[in-house]
Amino acid sequence: MSGKEFFVERYERLGWKFEDVKPRQAIRLNVTNVEGKNLEERLQAIGVQLDKVPFLETGHWVRNSKVSVGATAEYLLGFYSIQEAAAQIPATLFADLQGKTVLDACAAPGGKTVQLADLMGNTGAVVALDIKKRRLAALSNHLERCHVSNAVVYPFDARQVSRLKLKFDRVLVDAPCSGNFATDRDWFKRRTLKDVKRNARLQREILAEAAACLSDDGELVYSTCSLEPEEDEVNMDWAVNHLNLQIEEVDCQGQNGLTEVFGKRLDASVARCRRVWPGETQGFFVCKLKKVGER
Amino acid sequence: MKAITKFAVHLGAKFSLDADLTVNKGGRYFLLNESLLGVARKDFYYAGTYLGKVKNGKFFPSFNLLSMLVEGKANKIVFEKKAAWLFICGRDVFRAGILAVYGSRRKGDHALVLNEFGECLGFGRIVCSLVGAAKKGEVAVKNISDIGDFLRREI
Repeated sequence: MSGKEFFVERYERLGWKFEDVKPRQAIRLNVTNVEGKNLEERLQAIGVQLDKVPFLETGHWVRNSKVSVGATAEYLLGFYSIQEAAAQIPATLFADLQGKTVLDACAAPGGKTVQLADLMGNTGAVVALDIKKRRLAALSNHLERCHVSNAVVYPFDARQVSRLKLKFDRVLVDAPCSGNFATDRDWFKRRTLKDVKRNARLQREILAEAAACLSDDGELVYSTCSLEPEEDEVNMDWAVNHLNLQIEEVDCQGQNGLTEVFGKRLDASVARCRRVWPGETQGFFVCKLKKVGER
Repeated sequence: MKAITKFAVHLGAKFSLDADLTVNKGGRYFLLNESLLGVARKDFYYAGTYLGKVKNGKFFPSFNLLSMLVEGKANKIVFEKKAAWLFICGRDVFRAGILAVYGSRRKGDHALVLNEFGECLGFGRIVCSLVGAAKKGEVAVKNISDIGDFLRREI
């Protein structure tokens, strides 16, 4: 059960007609570092033209650029990060982050960790986890480049977070997932339904551990860049039924989460999730959860 | 910690660190803040502000540390746009590109290299006296470390 035809047919059954897309390149300003810097003017002077992303406060599309946006002095000084527009959504869904203790459960290469630190104004603490050495090096470089001073990185699997014996006010689970065709030209050749199901199981294990270390009035945001409902809505339905979590309303880009998946009816609250089909952005899924009774 | 203060002296700066908040992790130095103390366990990989590392007895400063030193009385040389860009590309920079010098002008001393906006791009060694008129094509600063390293590291 694999191949383009197989997955495209699944998407059609979920209500989306496949189209080949090319997501636009996007950057996110690191507000803490660019205050008073006239960054847009400076970038324009070197031939980088930006368009504001309408659904993001600090996100910009790169409309046109004479230089590589990943090699400007402003990039190397940490004034902005290259971050896909839909991937900028999850961190913005948390209520007040200032001074909070935050977990970024699957952190590398660190785009969202830096975004969280920026939203926190380098106050409080971000605990970032990842297991792969190469990815940890990329994460550390990202933190250094962007002058993040409130993060601690551990070389742990997200399923071991209870080792830290900490409770978190905010938890981001940007789960390892199957990805989607919009950012991987060979996606249809490489992925099978078996991969999807294996990832979905891993995601549940991470979610269970993350939920266990969430403070009673804490918030958990779950996201993937997978279009496969097993990794998205079906997992959220499972979280509602097994982890004493409830899904919160969010105000962000995307369509309502699917409440019926291949003939299986899910909890009605799953509609509060947001599903972004590929277009100007890559495909994405995001959901905000709280412990039951804490809304 | 001695390695860091000694490095600062090389740049003509005085720099002190709170010993309770500074951690040496296998030769890598990190500066924590109060809110990190409660979440930083012994087995962290990275924490707070990375200050630099000691390797084979030599100290390699982080760009965070260099940026912190800009705030103080360190030797600083400000370069115009093109020279600043060449410096980021790993090149030594010509005296003709200097906009301003703060602190030492002496050959052999070390100095932070700044762009026209006062942002720290790295540091280098002054390789000619910066007093008097510049000779044509005279190299002023030999590049030791620059922020282009973030790109080189990823290769």
